Amino acid sequence: MIQTNGTSTKAPSMNEATPKDPFNNNCYGTIVDSGYKLISLPVLDVTDFNERIIRGYEEGWGERDLPADLSVARSLIPAGTASLRDFSNIAPEIPEYIPENCTGCMDCVTECPDTAILGKVLSESEWSKKMQTIPEGDREMFSKQWSKTKKYYDAGKKKLGDGGMFNIIIDPSKCKGCAECVTVCDDDALKMIPKTDQVMIDSRKSHRYFKNIGPSDNKYINDNLLIDMMLKEETHIYTGGAGSCAGCGEGTALRMMCAATGSKYGDQWGLVAATGCNTVYTSTYPYNPYLVPWTNSLFENAPADAIGVRMRWDQMGWHDKPIWCIGGDGAMFDIGFQALSRLFASGMNVKVFVLDTQVYSNTGGQASTSTYTGQNTKMSVHGKAVGGKQERRKEIAQIAIMHPRTYVAQTTCAHVNHFYKSVLGALEFDGPALVVCYTTCQPEHGVADNMAGEQARLAVDSRAFPILIYDPRKGDKVKERLSLVGNPAVKDDWFVNPKTKEPVTFIDFARSEGRFAKHFDKDGNPSETLERAKQDRLENWHLLQELAGLR
Amino acid sequence: MLNRKRRTALSAPKATHDYTPGEVVAAVEFVKRTRAELRTLRKVRVWKDKLHIIDVNKDYFEVRGLGYPDADVVPVLKQINTAFNPDTIHNPVDLDYKEFDTGRRHPWAEDRVM
Repeated sequence: MIQTNGTSTKAPSMNEATPKDPFNNNCYGTIVDSGYKLISLPVLDVTDFNERIIRGYEEGWGERDLPADLSVARSLIPAGTASLRDFSNIAPEIPEYIPENCTGCMDCVTECPDTAILGKVLSESEWSKKMQTIPEGDREMFSKQWSKTKKYYDAGKKKLGDGGMFNIIIDPSKCKGCAECVTVCDDDALKMIPKTDQVMIDSRKSHRYFKNIGPSDNKYINDNLLIDMMLKEETHIYTGGAGSCAGCGEGTALRMMCAATGSKYGDQWGLVAATGCNTVYTSTYPYNPYLVPWTNSLFENAPADAIGVRMRWDQMGWHDKPIWCIGGDGAMFDIGFQALSRLFASGMNVKVFVLDTQVYSNTGGQASTSTYTGQNTKMSVHGKAVGGKQERRKEIAQIAIMHPRTYVAQTTCAHVNHFYKSVLGALEFDGPALVVCYTTCQPEHGVADNMAGEQARLAVDSRAFPILIYDPRKGDKVKERLSLVGNPAVKDDWFVNPKTKEPVTFIDFARSEGRFAKHFDKDGNPSETLERAKQDRLENWHLLQELAGLR
Repeated sequence: MLNRKRRTALSAPKATHDYTPGEVVAAVEFVKRTRAELRTLRKVRVWKDKLHIIDVNKDYFEVRGLGYPDADVVPVLKQINTAFNPDTIHNPVDLDYKEFDTGRRHPWAEDRVM
């Protein structure tokens, strides 16, 4: 209750417009508004949590004044509370959409780590009606943000008789200003602009109108075009408002994994997470971006925890509800490796998703067995005597392939179709599956906030991180099961960059990242350690080529 | 996969510098201005006789008279963390220009002391 001139009035719900959030940008639902995700558990009162605890944190008095009651002590967080979080003041700039240049490719929507850039398509006839519902003073401002793309408008007009109007909108309450969307846009349809008062008012209003006008028209969404899946509300299982760094590669990976799973199963699935960066930014109290059940036990036992949940769900008759077990390379390559191997050997229907940053990102940047040779990390500090990590990187995908009947994929968010096929293939497979995803960690890798996609692509181009899919259903021989499709110049040692006409090796990858900077002398010559790292990557690539029958 | 071919339509440079042979310090000083006057740098394109330093919005600075055949291009490229190979940067190539990334930063690990 709030006091106004001595009278008591009920405060607006956190899921409604408030004086602090006058256009109600911080609310449940991504494409359209929705209510709180209520549950019938006596140990968690969702409405009380969101109205009292979230309010306390959003208004800045929560940590000081909230009592240490049962709600706090239980460490339970309702689904999707990150929707109510406001990040609009953390970055000085925000993307601006330029509709006349847009082709509707959906790269920006797909690659955003924060669910802060959203797409919608409506038939022109429906759109015309909807525009009449926009207040007259803002109608021109909002309607000018819609584009007539070949993909939706021209093709729609030809096939359906009614062109599809396409809109990209930025949620100013969730955008962290990383500029990943601008970087992945090939069509100059986005640029960064300063957050002036007017820009923010227009942005907040536009986001509000975007949500008010309802969902996309499904007749314009081709289910075979995987990159269009984020036009549907049910794919937005990972809401904006997570506490990850600006441009975090892991955020995009989790969003895309959740989208693919949501496209098939809605919110009827669950997550078991190993401790790591992912558990910190998805449960920074009291904010949770997941709209599905999520649990975190320890660093080392997420696969064992997932086995337990799987057994209980199967006992309850929930055989058809997938369980994803997620963790970083520290959890899965190292500390939880034994539990992971046990999971694969069990044959149980649990899917594992590894956020491979090649370093313990959360605990301060220690080396893991996924770390590349030469990488400068805590525990393998680059000095005069030893130049970074001296061991070779462990290849968990190859190890997993040798487990009995296990589906394995290695992919990146920059290879969108490969990523979605990897995740959907894992879900379709009746047994254990592993999807290892290369994820950029900006502060540990030493790259700019907008570079997650670019560096992931370069990791593949340079053979630092080959992509692959191993599907045991494809045949009796390893070479029939293992596909390296998606890697450039798949039969060659190195890919040749058409923009320089030079081979792209691990050393070229290393030049672009701060974590290897100390391996280059003042003239730019690589160290002996880095030459060994290059040879290691080539040998790994040769092994994969041999297994795939290409060598 | 995110597309490799960019339909980059650059307009006019936000600032230009005419390189004078032997005056690399002036070119480096000009390039330092990109930090304040451009946004996050994305790409560097180097022709035989000029180079463009391009930011995330595709705004750019132009250095005229300095290209990949010139020895003085190296300190300029280094100044903006360009990911180029010094052994091959001066090699002739059958392309209009060579293009390089420039997104490297200092990692957190760099200053750590055990």
